[in-house]
Amino acid sequence: MLFELFKFEIKYRLKRSETYVFFTALLLYSLIAVEALFGNGTELIRANAPFIIAKTMGVTTAFFMAVVSMVMGVSVLRDFEHHMESLMFINPITKKAYLGGRFLGSFVVLLGIFSALLIGLIIGNFLPWKDPATLLPFHFWSYLQPFLTVVLPTIFFGGSLFFVTGALSRRIMVVYVQGILLLILYIFTLQLTAGSGNKQIIAILDPFSFQAIGGIVEFWTPAEKNTRIVPFEGILLYSRLLWIGIGMLSLIVGYYRFNFNVVTGKAGKKASTTNQSKASTTGASISIPSPAIRFDLQTAIRQLASHSWFHIRTILKESSFWAIAACAVATIFINSISLDIKYGVDSYPATYLIVSQLIELSVLFFLFIILFYSGELVWKERDANFHQVFDTVPVSSFISLTGKLLALLVILAFLLLSMMAAGMVFQAFNEYYIFEPGLYFMEFFTGIFFFLVLLSLVAFFFQSVLNNKYVAHIAMAVFLVVGIVVLNLSGYSHPLYSFGGGFLPMYSEMNSYGSFLKGYLWIKSYWLWFSIMLFASATLFIARGTETDFKQRWKSRRQRYTKPLGRLIAGAFLFFVFSGGYIFYNTNILSDFDFPSAEKVYKANYEKALKKFEHLPQPKITAVNLNVDLYPSERNFIAKGSFTLVNKHDQAIPEIHIQKAPSPDLTIERIEFERASEADNTYEEYGYFIHTLDTPLQPGDSLKMEFRQTYITQGLETGLNHDIVQNGTFFNNNYFPTLGYHPDIELEDKSEREEQGLKPRARRASINDPIALKQGMANDDGEEIRFEIVVSTDSSQTAIAPGYLESHWTEGDRSYFRYRTNQPITNFYSVTSADYKVVKDRWTPSANHSQDPVELEIYYQKGHEYNLKRMMKGLKKSLGYFNSHFSPYQYPQLRIMEFPRYRTFAQSFASTIPFSEAIGFMMDIDDEKDVDMAFAITAHEVAHQWWGHQVNPANVQGRSMISESLAQYSALMVLKKEFSDEKAHQFVQREMRRYLRGRSDEEQQEMPLALVESGQDYIHYGKGAVNMYALQDYISEDSVNLALKRFLRDWNNIDGLIKLRTDRYATTNDLIGYFREVTPDSLQYVLEDLFETITLHDIQAVSGSYESTASQQFEVNLEVDVTKLRLNKSGIEDTVEVHDWIDIGVYAEDKNGSQELIYLKKHKITEPLTNIEITVDRRPTKAGIDPLHKLIDREPDDNVIGLSGKEEGRESP
Amino acid sequence: MNNLTISKLSKTYSNGTQALNKVSLDIPTGMFGLLGPNGAGKSTLMRTIATLQEADEGTVTFGELDVLKDKNEVRKIIGYLPQEFGLYPRTTAEVLLDHLAVLKGIRNSKERKEIVEGLLQKTNLYIHRKKKLSTYSGGMKQRFGIAQALLANPKLIIVDEPTAGLDPTERNRFHNILCELGENTVVILSTHIVEDVKELCTNMAIINNGEVLLQENPLRAINRIKGNVYSKTIRKEELAEYKRSYNVIAERLFQGKKVIHVYDERDPGKGFTPVEASLNDVYFTYIFGAAAQ
Repeated sequence: MLFELFKFEIKYRLKRSETYVFFTALLLYSLIAVEALFGNGTELIRANAPFIIAKTMGVTTAFFMAVVSMVMGVSVLRDFEHHMESLMFINPITKKAYLGGRFLGSFVVLLGIFSALLIGLIIGNFLPWKDPATLLPFHFWSYLQPFLTVVLPTIFFGGSLFFVTGALSRRIMVVYVQGILLLILYIFTLQLTAGSGNKQIIAILDPFSFQAIGGIVEFWTPAEKNTRIVPFEGILLYSRLLWIGIGMLSLIVGYYRFNFNVVTGKAGKKASTTNQSKASTTGASISIPSPAIRFDLQTAIRQLASHSWFHIRTILKESSFWAIAACAVATIFINSISLDIKYGVDSYPATYLIVSQLIELSVLFFLFIILFYSGELVWKERDANFHQVFDTVPVSSFISLTGKLLALLVILAFLLLSMMAAGMVFQAFNEYYIFEPGLYFMEFFTGIFFFLVLLSLVAFFFQSVLNNKYVAHIAMAVFLVVGIVVLNLSGYSHPLYSFGGGFLPMYSEMNSYGSFLKGYLWIKSYWLWFSIMLFASATLFIARGTETDFKQRWKSRRQRYTKPLGRLIAGAFLFFVFSGGYIFYNTNILSDFDFPSAEKVYKANYEKALKKFEHLPQPKITAVNLNVDLYPSERNFIAKGSFTLVNKHDQAIPEIHIQKAPSPDLTIERIEFERASEADNTYEEYGYFIHTLDTPLQPGDSLKMEFRQTYITQGLETGLNHDIVQNGTFFNNNYFPTLGYHPDIELEDKSEREEQGLKPRARRASINDPIALKQGMANDDGEEIRFEIVVSTDSSQTAIAPGYLESHWTEGDRSYFRYRTNQPITNFYSVTSADYKVVKDRWTPSANHSQDPVELEIYYQKGHEYNLKRMMKGLKKSLGYFNSHFSPYQYPQLRIMEFPRYRTFAQSFASTIPFSEAIGFMMDIDDEKDVDMAFAITAHEVAHQWWGHQVNPANVQGRSMISESLAQYSALMVLKKEFSDEKAHQFVQREMRRYLRGRSDEEQQEMPLALVESGQDYIHYGKGAVNMYALQDYISEDSVNLALKRFLRDWNNIDGLIKLRTDRYATTNDLIGYFREVTPDSLQYVLEDLFETITLHDIQAVSGSYESTASQQFEVNLEVDVTKLRLNKSGIEDTVEVHDWIDIGVYAEDKNGSQELIYLKKHKITEPLTNIEITVDRRPTKAGIDPLHKLIDREPDDNVIGLSGKEEGRESP
Repeated sequence: MNNLTISKLSKTYSNGTQALNKVSLDIPTGMFGLLGPNGAGKSTLMRTIATLQEADEGTVTFGELDVLKDKNEVRKIIGYLPQEFGLYPRTTAEVLLDHLAVLKGIRNSKERKEIVEGLLQKTNLYIHRKKKLSTYSGGMKQRFGIAQALLANPKLIIVDEPTAGLDPTERNRFHNILCELGENTVVILSTHIVEDVKELCTNMAIINNGEVLLQENPLRAINRIKGNVYSKTIRKEELAEYKRSYNVIAERLFQGKKVIHVYDERDPGKGFTPVEASLNDVYFTYIFGAAAQ
């Protein structure tokens, strides 16, 4: 019997079109899934690496949980939906056979559908456009294994759950809500991982298992990632067992709870109602009144309102709707733990952050609601079999459909309003009382709601025209994927044909929406007209009556057509074309729109045409004098300037090559030299101009160059320029002309270069490259310059540039600021302007320094006062530490200026530090648990005044170790001094994770710290902090500082003893030389480990015990296992001999019962397995090796072990 | 008063079934019974008049109104009770009727309340007006159906097989409601139950296989075959033979034996006794094609 039902189920499903639609959808998605989720592979990590396949399968299964619900949820439900239950249940079928047959049959079909994932991924491997260099040889097992271990358990779990909920609730809505809850569970786990909760548990609780996979491969090297199959063990195994178990449990519960009767608890009620009705008599004597019946505009409006109110009421009565609403509101509270975490610190719950979190988390809900309810609403009458009544009602299809649309939109608005309320409650909970309902409204209703309206219109269109609920769901999904995702991925997106045209511009408390809102609204209205057009024409084709095939509906469109509807469609079309034309004029004619792909070609062509000039001798800039007139409200500026150029080569320079900054809004109006010259515009398309001097510039000669340029923002300003804005302008010298070929314009990405027929580009010149050694941070245009600038801006704003403020005056509604530097600065400067508040202070050096005080200023946005004290303290303490340990600070002032959150970094220019709104200023620092990152970032940036501005590193490998790793070290030392070892240690541990994670994502080759190349942040920040901290631990802070002091003495730009005698800049070879001088012979190996090689340790405490030998004498016996690993050139880790000094630590309980380190000393370890004996004077609890994690070890948790104790022959408990 | 005139209406479904074949009917004010077996084309005809589907050929006019073209105008004046329909389970009768009343153009909320209450009382649903429709029995559902059909003073009422599946009490109640409608409205009642027509209708048509077999006043129809119907009680085994020899138009069991009616213009003798013709006999005479011979 069970088998019969099983067969019946499969046969039934094979006849249903949905089965094939689902299969095809999954197959098509799987073909491109890897690219969509992970992008193209690289030669280092291939696109078909086993872990990528596993992750892709996990994510795709999660995406397609809706399919699982649609297949499994309806298998029992449909008997009830089609009122077949009486027929089914009177047959002599046992419950076991019925449920078993249905479940197994549906599950086999589901498995068949999901085999599309396996097939699709495999075929995807062989698609013609795949680059074989980014692929591994095909291995079937790499696909089958994750299918069995990841996909199968997930769909079993989901399928069982949906099957049971469908069978028990007998309501399709419940099945859908389960899908949502599962999705929430997923989002929830993601959020938890973003915080620092217990990763193991989170990984196990993730039903889709990509947390588990992520956890397993987190620190794998690229070589491992390419070769190893994600092992089915540990957290992955436990997670799978847990979810299979939950699936089985739900099946068992479902089996016992399923009521094998026709009616569930309604029979009693029914009987009583019929009895009552029998008691009453007929109402033959009652006369029916004749109401006035009118069909005019007022009635139409009334009908529309009544119709939408009717549907709103129906939705509001659904308990599932309230479940969705509760989830949407709850997300903010679930998510509270990870509110815009930067550097491990939460931000204040500013409204824009709350809103973006809410939208990010709820966008899936909204998509789902629209997808689902559009189907339910359009099909409402047909699903209830009420359509024969409804379709004879004298209401036009337009009013009927519009009423339903309005119902959906009101429901969405209701959800948004409740999320808004939840957001404010959340803010109040967090003691943040700045409520901005206006901003909420703006973000929700001009932002996401506008897009939801568009989606709803389109969803109604599909539902009406396709006339099949499920096909329309799929069509809508395909539409979204193609219209938004694929276009964006393929690099061919344009607001005119990427559906919806993009998101609300980013809100900044400094710059609000700037002028970006106008373009946004134009584009949105363009899409609104488009969607209205679709919607209105859909009302001509929607099924009405009992004949619903498309031929009939096409025939009856003429009867449906009315003049007002025609006018609406025509009007929408006109506005659509008009706004489209306006947008096109603005994006493509006024401003030079380029597809990302066209930009790639441009960059490649630039390189191909002009690379030949790269090493052409050009003069160096030695002085800059600028006049910049900023017009913030128009987002324009006009600059006049003069550069002093000096020929530092030993040959004459006949022509000077000028590169205009690559921005279409920027025009160089005039370039003149002190002597006559002739301009050659051959390369004008690249903004590259060759000026041939009548008399060449002789070696040692100097020449003034004068220019005038304008920057005029044009078009709809939808572009990405966030540098020049209404409030919070911040741009650097990249906006001014540069000399010669500009390598920064080149394409960087290796595979993009390959597409354009270009060879890979070195990320940084070799450490011995003779040309690059003579370049510093400012590349090739000259390094040390005298600098003077006059900036004028709107009188409401303050403009700031490097140097001291020589004078300040106003003319009319404009303010002028003249800055000049007291000594040469690096050819790297910025201009900022905003309506600032300022806090001022002064740092006075201690008495034994004959140094002037330094004026300190922080320019900030009103309202962002939270961390000013911390930042000011950071400025002062850093100046104090660096001044006394390194060298005197070189400028009479030091400033921090806030800039809008479009960009999130802080950057050090000479004596000025632009600092993003998004970091530091908005951090909600808890001194108990957080590192004071406002202080630490400030310290890091101040350190750059030494590392970068006093010593300019050569533009070769290792450059950013000198600038960034030393800044990290300096900040750490200030942090340690002003706070505690623990805070410094906490900082280092975060950098350790950054390093380990970064190296595992490395796309090319990991370099040793001393040879770090550009783009390897995880090395120069992460490993830099870890290893510099380790260095001072080995050789002492004073020794490191002494070495750095000598390094500065010899290599500083102004009067460095060596620098004065050479024209090259300092490298890490020089720096490590100074470290060697201060390092004892026994520890010289440490320098090699930390800087010159990639060395890791695999350290473990194997066993430990102690014995009480005398009163207050405890002998600890610890066995440790040390493996030292070194990455060779081909990326493989070799084991090398151990001869290392490593911390051994012993813990005891202190008075409060918490663990205290009572012994910490370096022991020399020479054998992989070593026994260590230590005597301590307190009863030990734990002991271990490298307990403070100073060495790089991927599994730090096994370093310390609990001790078993023996006391005078007796085992302690 | 307007007549509903159906002229040469034909309809063939895409699967080849010819549901209507040149159907012509002239339906005056009053209750009109459309009698025919299942699958005769009654519902197709009703749905076509009710604007729910298209005809291939022919015309339908209601007074000046072209029913097949001016669908929206037709919708303003019809009340339609489909043969089979469902209701929104979680709504109440009151709410749904009120909603439909707005959709049918009753804008004034006071008037709407009056008519909704009136109809609920008339259909005896008033005490159940606040109950969820999912708790309604078949009869209550059918009464709700007629209530909604009567909402906007329809001039043309179409009720498709309203009594199928109702028990005798419910059916009786339903007839009482229908009975009042025929006074100044065109009411078309389709049914396969002869009693319905006999009890209610002043005019009737018999339709089978998409063709109209007879359009007549029921009494006159009976008169037509008056004196030509004979009855005989036979053994069950003999039925086949009788069927071969006579125009057997009805058979029923009586105390385990078969009682047959035959149509014959002359007295067949042989133990047949003449019987008073009923509408049932008319119906079966036409259905089995006896009258045509």
